[in-house]
Amino acid sequence: MSSKLDLLQGTLDLMVLRTLVSMGPLHGYGIARRIEQLSQNEVLLNQGTIYAALVRLQNRGWIAAEWGSSENNRRAKYYSITRSGRKRLAEETSYWQRLSAVIGRVLAPSEGGPK
Amino acid sequence: MNLGVLWARLKGLVRRRELDGELQKEIATHLELATEENLRRGIEPEEARRLAAVRFGSVASAQEGVWDERGLAGLASCLQDARYAVRGMRTNPGFTLVTVATLALGIGLCSVFFSVLNAFVLRPAPGVSDTGRLVTLEASVPYPYFESYRNQEGLSAGMAAFIGPVPFGVAVNAPADGKPERVFGHLVSPEYFSTLGVAPLLGRFFDPVQESPGAAPTVVVSERFWRMRLHSDPRVVGRALRVNGRQATIIGVGPKDFFGIFPSTPAEVFLPVTADPAVAPELAADILHRTTQPAFRVLVRLRPGMTMAATEARLDAHTREMDQQTGKRGPDRKGRQVHLVLAGLALPISVAERSLVVTFYTLLVALILSLTCSNLAGLILARGSARSREIAIRLSIGASRFRVIRQLLTESLILAALGGVAGFAAAYGLLDLLARVRGDSALLQSEIAFTPDLRVVLFAFLISALAAAGFGLLPALAATRADLAAALKASMGTRRSRYRRFGLRNLFVVYQVAAAMMLILIMGFWSSGLRNGANLDPGFDPAPLQFFSLDPARDGLTPSQSAALYTGLAQRLARLPGVESVTLADQPPLNLTVANRSVSVPSVPAGSRESVHPVAFLSIGPGYFATLGAPLVRGAEFSERDLGLDPAPSDILPAVINQTAAKDLFGGADPLGRRIRQDTGDVERTFQVTGVVRYDRQSLAVNRPVATIFLPLTRKDLRRGSQSGTIVLVRARTHLGDATIRRELASIDPHLTMFNPQTMREFLAATNRVVQSAVAFTSGIGLFGLLLACVGLAGVTAQAVERRRKEIGIRMALGARPPQVLRLVMREGAVMISAGAAFGFAGAYGISRVLAAASAQMAEIIAWSTGDRALTVGVPLLLISLAAIACYLPARRSISRDPLVSLREE
Repeated sequence: MSSKLDLLQGTLDLMVLRTLVSMGPLHGYGIARRIEQLSQNEVLLNQGTIYAALVRLQNRGWIAAEWGSSENNRRAKYYSITRSGRKRLAEETSYWQRLSAVIGRVLAPSEGGPK
Repeated sequence: MNLGVLWARLKGLVRRRELDGELQKEIATHLELATEENLRRGIEPEEARRLAAVRFGSVASAQEGVWDERGLAGLASCLQDARYAVRGMRTNPGFTLVTVATLALGIGLCSVFFSVLNAFVLRPAPGVSDTGRLVTLEASVPYPYFESYRNQEGLSAGMAAFIGPVPFGVAVNAPADGKPERVFGHLVSPEYFSTLGVAPLLGRFFDPVQESPGAAPTVVVSERFWRMRLHSDPRVVGRALRVNGRQATIIGVGPKDFFGIFPSTPAEVFLPVTADPAVAPELAADILHRTTQPAFRVLVRLRPGMTMAATEARLDAHTREMDQQTGKRGPDRKGRQVHLVLAGLALPISVAERSLVVTFYTLLVALILSLTCSNLAGLILARGSARSREIAIRLSIGASRFRVIRQLLTESLILAALGGVAGFAAAYGLLDLLARVRGDSALLQSEIAFTPDLRVVLFAFLISALAAAGFGLLPALAATRADLAAALKASMGTRRSRYRRFGLRNLFVVYQVAAAMMLILIMGFWSSGLRNGANLDPGFDPAPLQFFSLDPARDGLTPSQSAALYTGLAQRLARLPGVESVTLADQPPLNLTVANRSVSVPSVPAGSRESVHPVAFLSIGPGYFATLGAPLVRGAEFSERDLGLDPAPSDILPAVINQTAAKDLFGGADPLGRRIRQDTGDVERTFQVTGVVRYDRQSLAVNRPVATIFLPLTRKDLRRGSQSGTIVLVRARTHLGDATIRRELASIDPHLTMFNPQTMREFLAATNRVVQSAVAFTSGIGLFGLLLACVGLAGVTAQAVERRRKEIGIRMALGARPPQVLRLVMREGAVMISAGAAFGFAGAYGISRVLAAASAQMAEIIAWSTGDRALTVGVPLLLISLAAIACYLPARRSISRDPLVSLREE
């Protein structure tokens, strides 16, 4: 088994939204770095895959993009979360929490569970 | 995928280039930022850049990820497939050309068939609304019957009666003595237009109050007549027209494209049934009130919710009642008195006939299409084996099987699209040609438009797609199933894969031979039947003969004037220099007919069963056979006295019969003086045979003599006139110019116009042309089948042999002698070919049996042509030898090569 975690379907999108809520507008590199930091490098992530997720979220109207200049005056595209993105994040977060609670209960090494 | 996303994706598709640029900039920034961060951590510049790139991962796959999200899923890769396919087609122009040409032929032919089908039994009569609910009584009925049907509560949603097509002599410049033009129209009951659901373009249509008997004559003209003859005059309503020599007021113009019901014989003018018999001689003798004159065709619009069968049953019951009331028949008559047929199409056709025609054409289309497809599938399969390495490489570097199949299907789809467009263009050209060939035939007074409409375009599109799937799918499946390792090694000899792929290909060869055989045989039966019809032997010398038509009633002459005119006419024309004799007839001499009336011979011991015989009738003037140059074998022909007859229905008319009729009716006995009875259901007529002539008339379908009874043309006939007018037949040593005839006619009556003047030779040629074009058409299709079969067989068998070249090389190297190897290859081919031929032969016979069972005319054609040895033996022989040659040539080439060369090849 790989030492890093494979990303489940849809989790990258969720992490991007979360990052944008806590950090405010950010460029692609910033988002990728932040996710790496938060996950303490436990997630198997090619930074490049972030861009597909960004386009997907943009198409759904959950984030917006704007060109701006970065530190040391580089042109970069800054992404920010939209209102419907926040709503979506709230929904998804509660969903994940419920799901992980259920998974946790089911997999808990209690009586009757797998040895 | 919701709408917002779809919209965003569409935008992404449109702004592809711009967004790609932005993405590249973003990625570049990303890498720079990452590199800078690494530098800040004190990493060497080069290593910093490398680490940044590693963390980013593949730029290409990042881009692809974005592309997948952007744009329309699949579309981009479809475009890629298409580009790839086009590139492939360009590098192999020979293959592409053959494929597209084959497809074009196949699709074109199918489109032609479909257009013909469309014109006859699918396309609704233009201008008429909701044609699916329109039906008509197969037989005509007397007007009182129609009135009684119409007055039945709840029987229909509308009913109308009409007589037509009826010729009219119409002159536009009413007061001036402009020569009238012969135009066809309908005599209609007032409900005609409302039953058809037609609204006038200008003015009004007939109504029961204003068009009452004795009212001033009125006429409705078609939009085409108004446009072509009246110059689209917007104030045309109220203008006068001269119809059959009488003034009639135009009260309305029909809608665009409306030519009455049954547009195969377009109606340009419409007159009310209440019109004066002087305007419409068909309405003479108080026909509206006679229960014995079944002259009217009844149109019925079915009531919503009421089926054709239910309507037919009610009409039938009602007809029996009427028959009883009018004392015509007892109630004991067996079988349906009324048959309903479809009325919304180009011509009246029964449901059964329609499904027969549709089935037949569907079968032909299916046969042609499947032949085309199997042909191309064979070709592509063969090419697929050549491409098996390419495909194996693509599969082994990770392309999914679905992806490769999609790629291959895209190729066939593009080929099919090209073939479809070319085929449609070819069909258009062919139909145009067909229309032009038919165009100058005076025999068929019909106008069936074969021009492709939207339906045909759709059809062509559909079958192109079907073809693509048909010839693309199987090979694609077969090609991608290939054993990867074996294909990559390109070892030709692995036994397993050879047999498996050979299996499919064998099937194609067998099917190809079978389908080609069926197509050629069926078309052969058909065209050979028609060809027999085209070999018309008139039985007389056409050279000195010419004829023209007169219809004095339409020129404004009264019935008695018209009848009187003919008595002097023959003598008058006969006095012209060079003229030997002149006679009259109600139709052209060699009009192709079928025996569609029945007569019986009163048996000598009274009371015994009379047999009924099918015959054709023809009315002729005095000296007819002398003029024609076909002398009588017994008895005498009609005289001037017969022309003057004015017989009552009960009078016994003299009759001349041809030898076929004599044999049919009287066997070996002497027919002179014998009687023949005709019972049409309304009138009984009796004839007495006064002469026998050798001259045999013939039917169109099969060149077989038709039993014919010739009756004298009487004053009664001449008063009434007929649809085709009265023929004046002239025998002259030198051709009589039209101008001479016109001058002569004008001196009799200035209003008299002649029409359709032609020599007998011209007439025969035109008659033959109709049949010949049909023969050319069917033989062409048969030839096409042969061509397809040749190409397909050559391609597939050659490929099969080609693939065995290495094996053949080994055998040769091991000492097999050429004849042995040749025998080996040929044996396999022979098995496939004979299997295919047997299937095809059985199929063709089966189909022709079914067709024969379904249609009497078809049965006659098929019975005639299945005895044709050239077809039943020749076609199979031809096909088998062609297939054998297709097998032999490549086999021959393989064995004549140096085996070492074959073996050294990859």
